[in-house]
Amino acid sequence: MILIWLGRISLYVAFASLLGGVVDQVLAIRAKRAGHALWWGLGALVGILGAVGAMEVALITHNFSLAYVAENNATFTPLLYSITGMWSALEGSLLLWSLLLTVVTVSVIFYYRKEAADAVVGWATVVLFGVGAFFTYLLVAPASPFVHNPERVLQGAGPNALLQNNPLVAVHPPLLYAGFVGFTVPFAFAIAMLITGRVQDRWPLEQRRWTVLAWGALSLGIVLGAWWSYQVLGWGGFWGWDPVENAALLPWLTATAYIHSVIVQDRRGLFRVWNLSLAIATFSLTVLGTFFTRSGVLQSVHAFSSSTLGPLLIGFFFVTVVLGVVLLAWRGDRLRSAVGVDHPLSREGLFVANNVLFVGFAIVVLLGTVFPLLYQAVNGAQVTVGTPYFASIAAPLSVILLALMAVAPLVSWRTVDAKVLWSRLRVSAWSAIALVVILVASGVRRPTVLLAYFLAAGAAGAALRTLKGVVVAAHRRGKLFSAFRAPSTGGMVVHLGIVILALGIVTSTSYTTRAEVALAQGQSTVVNGKYVSFAGFHQLKDSLDTSTQLLVSVGRDQLRPAITIFNGRGGTTVGTPAIDSNLWRDVYVTFDAIGANGAVSGAQVQDKLAAGSVVLGVTVEPLLAWLWIGGLIVGLGSALSFMRRRHNEELA
Amino acid sequence: MKRTVMISSLVALVIIVAFSIFLGTRQPVGPASAVQTPLQGKLAPAFSGQELSGGHLSLKSDRGDIVVVNFWASWCGPCVEEAPNLSTFAWQERHDGVKVIGVVFSDTVSAATGFEKYYGSLYPSIIDPGGQIANRYGVTAPPTTFVINAKGRVVLSLVGSLSTKQLTQVVNRVRG
Repeated sequence: MILIWLGRISLYVAFASLLGGVVDQVLAIRAKRAGHALWWGLGALVGILGAVGAMEVALITHNFSLAYVAENNATFTPLLYSITGMWSALEGSLLLWSLLLTVVTVSVIFYYRKEAADAVVGWATVVLFGVGAFFTYLLVAPASPFVHNPERVLQGAGPNALLQNNPLVAVHPPLLYAGFVGFTVPFAFAIAMLITGRVQDRWPLEQRRWTVLAWGALSLGIVLGAWWSYQVLGWGGFWGWDPVENAALLPWLTATAYIHSVIVQDRRGLFRVWNLSLAIATFSLTVLGTFFTRSGVLQSVHAFSSSTLGPLLIGFFFVTVVLGVVLLAWRGDRLRSAVGVDHPLSREGLFVANNVLFVGFAIVVLLGTVFPLLYQAVNGAQVTVGTPYFASIAAPLSVILLALMAVAPLVSWRTVDAKVLWSRLRVSAWSAIALVVILVASGVRRPTVLLAYFLAAGAAGAALRTLKGVVVAAHRRGKLFSAFRAPSTGGMVVHLGIVILALGIVTSTSYTTRAEVALAQGQSTVVNGKYVSFAGFHQLKDSLDTSTQLLVSVGRDQLRPAITIFNGRGGTTVGTPAIDSNLWRDVYVTFDAIGANGAVSGAQVQDKLAAGSVVLGVTVEPLLAWLWIGGLIVGLGSALSFMRRRHNEELA
Repeated sequence: MKRTVMISSLVALVIIVAFSIFLGTRQPVGPASAVQTPLQGKLAPAFSGQELSGGHLSLKSDRGDIVVVNFWASWCGPCVEEAPNLSTFAWQERHDGVKVIGVVFSDTVSAATGFEKYYGSLYPSIIDPGGQIANRYGVTAPPTTFVINAKGRVVLSLVGSLSTKQLTQVVNRVRG
C-alpha cells in the first residue's frame, strides 16, 4: 500500500510541477525575463522518478498488492524481466514515456539555460511542459499504474511470454520511446518559432540537432525491434508491416525528410514553412501512432489491449495538428523566403525530390494502416492490408532513394554542371560498374539484385568521397579531430549505414532458401546442400519455464531450436528458433511439429508422422547480419550528427 | 501568396477534423479479424468425414443453411478461448438455419475427443486426416473460421478467437 500511495503522490507532484512550469513560463515570457523552468522541470523529474522507483520496487519484490504487478509479474520472473516488466503493458509503458519526456525536457532546459530569457526557448519550454502534462495526466487519471489489487495473489501471471525470452526487450522499447519522445523537441521549437515569428536565426539548426538525436534513437529502436522479432517470432522475417511497426515508421519517414530539408534552410534559407510543417507532422504522427497502439482500434500482433485512452489520444492529436496549422496559416506568409530553387537538378532540387519521396511514402503507409478501418466503416468486414501492398511501393522507392544517395551528395548548390558532376561521380560510377561485372561473373543474375548493388556502390562511393573531402580539409588545417564535427560527417556515416542495411535486406530476402524436413531421431538428410541431422531431445526445466530442445546439427554447427512452455498465463507456449549467424549467412532452424502422440506437449502434432519424429524448418539467409551492422552504423552516424557544427561556424 | 497559404490551411484543417472524428469514433476490434481468402465469393469446397463422436457428416447435406466451418485443434490456445462461445452460438442459432461444423486440424483423435468432451461442444466436429480439408480451404493455422451462405458460397474468413457476439453479428449480416 505504501508503494501505491508513494507512486500516486509522486505522479501528482510531477503533474503539478509540469502545470506550474507552464504558468511560470508564460508569465516569464510576458515579463520578458527568464523563468524558473529548470526548477519546475526538476520537480517533475523527481516526481516521475519517484513513481518509476515505486513501480520498480514493487515489480522486483513481486508486490502483488499492485494490480499491475499481479498482471505482469510472477514470483518466478527473473530480475531482468521484472525490471523490463514496467513497459510490458499499457500503464507502465506510459510511465516510461513520461520519464523519458521529462528527462528530455530537463535536458533541453539545461542545454539552453543561458538563453532562458529568449522567447523562442521560453515558448518551446511551455510546449514541452504542456505535452509532459498531458502524458502525466493520462497516468494520474485514466491509465493509472498504481491501482490496488484487493485479492490475494500467490504467484502472479508473469509478463507476456514473448516479452520474457529475449534480453532485447530491455533495449528496444526504451530506444523506440526515446525516439518518439525526442520528436517533441522539434515540435516545441516549431511552435515557438511560429509564435515569435523568428525562423531565420540559429534555431532551425538547433531544432535539427535534437531531431537527429531522436531520429537516431528511433532508427536503432526500429532495427533492434526487427532483430528481436527475427530472434523470437520464429518466422525468419524481421518486418511485417504491422500497424505498430508502421506507427514507428511514419514519424521516422517524415523526420528523415525534415533532417534533409532543414539543411537547405541552413544553406539557402529556403523551405522555412515546409520545415516547420514537417516538424509538426512528425510529432503529430508519434501521437497518432500512440493512438493506434493504445486504443485497440487496429488489429496487431503487439498492440496493447484495448483501453479507454482512444478518444483522449485522438483529441490530443487533433489539438497538436490544429495548433500547428492555425499558426502556419497565421505566420506562413511572413515566413516564406523570397527566393526559390534555381535549378531542379541542383542540390536543393534533389533535396526536394528526397522530400517528395519520403513524405509520399509516409502517406502511402498511413493510408495502408488506416485502410482496414475505412473498409470496415463502409463494408462492415475486417480486412488486413498485407505486405504485398507496402512492398510494391517500398521496393521502387528504395531504388530511387539509393540513386539519389549516389548522386545528390556530389551535386553543387544552385547550379548543375555536367562536367563537374561527372568528375566527382567518375570513381564511384566505375567502381559500381566493376562490382556489377564481378557479380555477374560470379553467377548473380537477378536484375533487381544487380541494380541494388550498382546503386548501393554508387551511394557508398558518394558518401566516402564526401568523407574523404572532410578528412583532407581537416588535415590541412592541422585539426584532424575536427573532422568528426564537420557538418557532413554524421550524415554520410548514416548514408553508409543505410547502404549496408539495404544490401543486407536485398540479399537476404532475394536468396533465402527455406525447407521443411521430417526427421526421426538419429536420422539425417541434406537440405539445400546442407547436412542436417537430428540427434534427439533435451529437456530443460526451471522455475520460469519448461523447454524441450531438439539437438540438431546443420553442417558443423550445433543448433537447439525449442518449444518453451512458460509458467503462468495458462502455460503460454512459444517456439524459439535457433540461429547460427556469421557475416556470410544465417542458418535459422525452427521446431515446427512433432509426430503423432507427441512426447512433447506444446508442439504441433502431425498425425502422418511417426511418433518421435520431428518437423524442422531450415532457413538460410545470406548476409542477413549486415542488416544489424548497418543499423548500428546508422546510430553512430546520428550521434556524430548531433555534435555537428554549423557550416559557417568558426573553428575555434 | 497569402491566399494559397490560407486555402491550403483550410483544406488541411477540414481533412484533419474529418480524420480525427473518424478515428475517434472507431470501436476497438474483436479478437478475431477477417482475412482475405481466394475462396471469397466462390462455392465452398465440399467435404465429408467421420465425426469425432463416430457418425458421418457431409457439408453438401447442409446447403440451404448458413454454415460456420471452424478449423480447430486441441493444442491451440485461442481455440480453447473460443470453444464455449462457438457452443453458445450453435445453441442459440440451432432453429434459425445456422449450422456450426468443427474441423479438427493437425491433431490426434484422442486429444481432440478429450477436448470436445471437456468443453461439452454443442456442434459436431469431423476429423481431417492428413489435413486435406484444411488444404482445400487454404487454412494454415487454427483457429480459422469460414462463413458460408445459404447458397453455399464463402462469404468471410476469420482468423483468431471468436466471441458469440461477433459470430452473431457476422451471421446477421450474411442473412441480410
